[in-house]
Amino acid sequence: VSCVSGGLPKPTNITFLSINMKNILQWNPPQGLQGVEVTYSVQYFIYGQKKWLNKSECRDISRTYCDLSAETSDYERQYYAKAKAIWGTNCSKWAETGRFYPFLETQIGPPEVALTADEKSISIVLTAPKKWKKNPEESSISLEQIYSNLKYNVSIHNTKSNRTWSQCVTNQTLVFGWLEPDTLYCVLVESFVPGPPRLVQPSEKQCVSTLKDQTSTLKVK
Amino acid sequence: GQEFQFGPCQVEGVVLQELWEAFQAMKDIVQAQDNITSVQLLRKEVLQNVSEAESCYLIHALLEFYLNTVFKNYHHKAVEFRILKSFSTLANNFIVIMSKLQPSQEKEMFSVRESARRRFLLFQRAFKQLDREAAVTKAFGEVDILLTWMENFYQ
Repeated sequence: VSCVSGGLPKPTNITFLSINMKNILQWNPPQGLQGVEVTYSVQYFIYGQKKWLNKSECRDISRTYCDLSAETSDYERQYYAKAKAIWGTNCSKWAETGRFYPFLETQIGPPEVALTADEKSISIVLTAPKKWKKNPEESSISLEQIYSNLKYNVSIHNTKSNRTWSQCVTNQTLVFGWLEPDTLYCVLVESFVPGPPRLVQPSEKQCVSTLKDQTSTLKVK
Repeated sequence: GQEFQFGPCQVEGVVLQELWEAFQAMKDIVQAQDNITSVQLLRKEVLQNVSEAESCYLIHALLEFYLNTVFKNYHHKAVEFRILKSFSTLANNFIVIMSKLQPSQEKEMFSVRESARRRFLLFQRAFKQLDREAAVTKAFGEVDILLTWMENFYQ
């Protein structure tokens, strides 16, 4: 549908929100159009290719985001995307993102964390986050396969002494020893990839208690 | 500390994170100046599946070109866009890496050298097909692609 371009102000703050290669284009509505039922259309562009491509599922939409994960799934390529506002026969000029490089810009989600406590130690098993996939039947790709230098910042907090210490590890199993028996410890883990600075997503805090000291219970008997 | 290992060529004393942070500080400004989005200079054919043996020749050729052609002709823009500090960090680190690279000139390495040269020529030809200033801007905006490839050899 053709429209008079420039008759409306452009959408603002158009960016990619990318986590584990799930790449969502998002923007803010144009300023000064509160209460007006604006719709949007989206196009994307593969750097080095020739033309802009329509995202058909995001034509004349009223929401202010569009999932471009499938279109930007080749993470070694770079992309642009743009959106325009439409109202009746009027539409805005395109609002365009900067060059988006999924490999460097996606946020690396936290790993899965499994804790096992002993009297004086806690074993931690980490499972790397998975890359976004189009449909559940597809086999999963661990981000470890994409980022060979993936590391984890593991921090452990003693809730009794209120002391915290952390460790940067590359392997997926580690044991924190020399802990106090019968004490609640809480663990937080962040995934980390050397390279340009990225936003970080820490894991949910998980807590576990070390077991009671068996030797002291035996003495009591 | 960490070092680059481009096949037989070892380069110590460079902190890759600093190069990333320097480029990150300029990325939006620099890439926004590149209007020829239909051309990518550092294409997959240039950097993909480079053997260890080739890597020293290729990085030497690329850094030499970046220093002698791209950085040299982008300096005035770095001043204009007030990104001279980050620009200098990148340039100085590239000079350090270049100075420590000693690609072997032995005869038996001829085919490997040629293979790396063909890759470099793909990049240089694409560069020469563009207007000079536009090509310099584009090449500088693609430093993130170059650093991503260099990261594979950083350990």
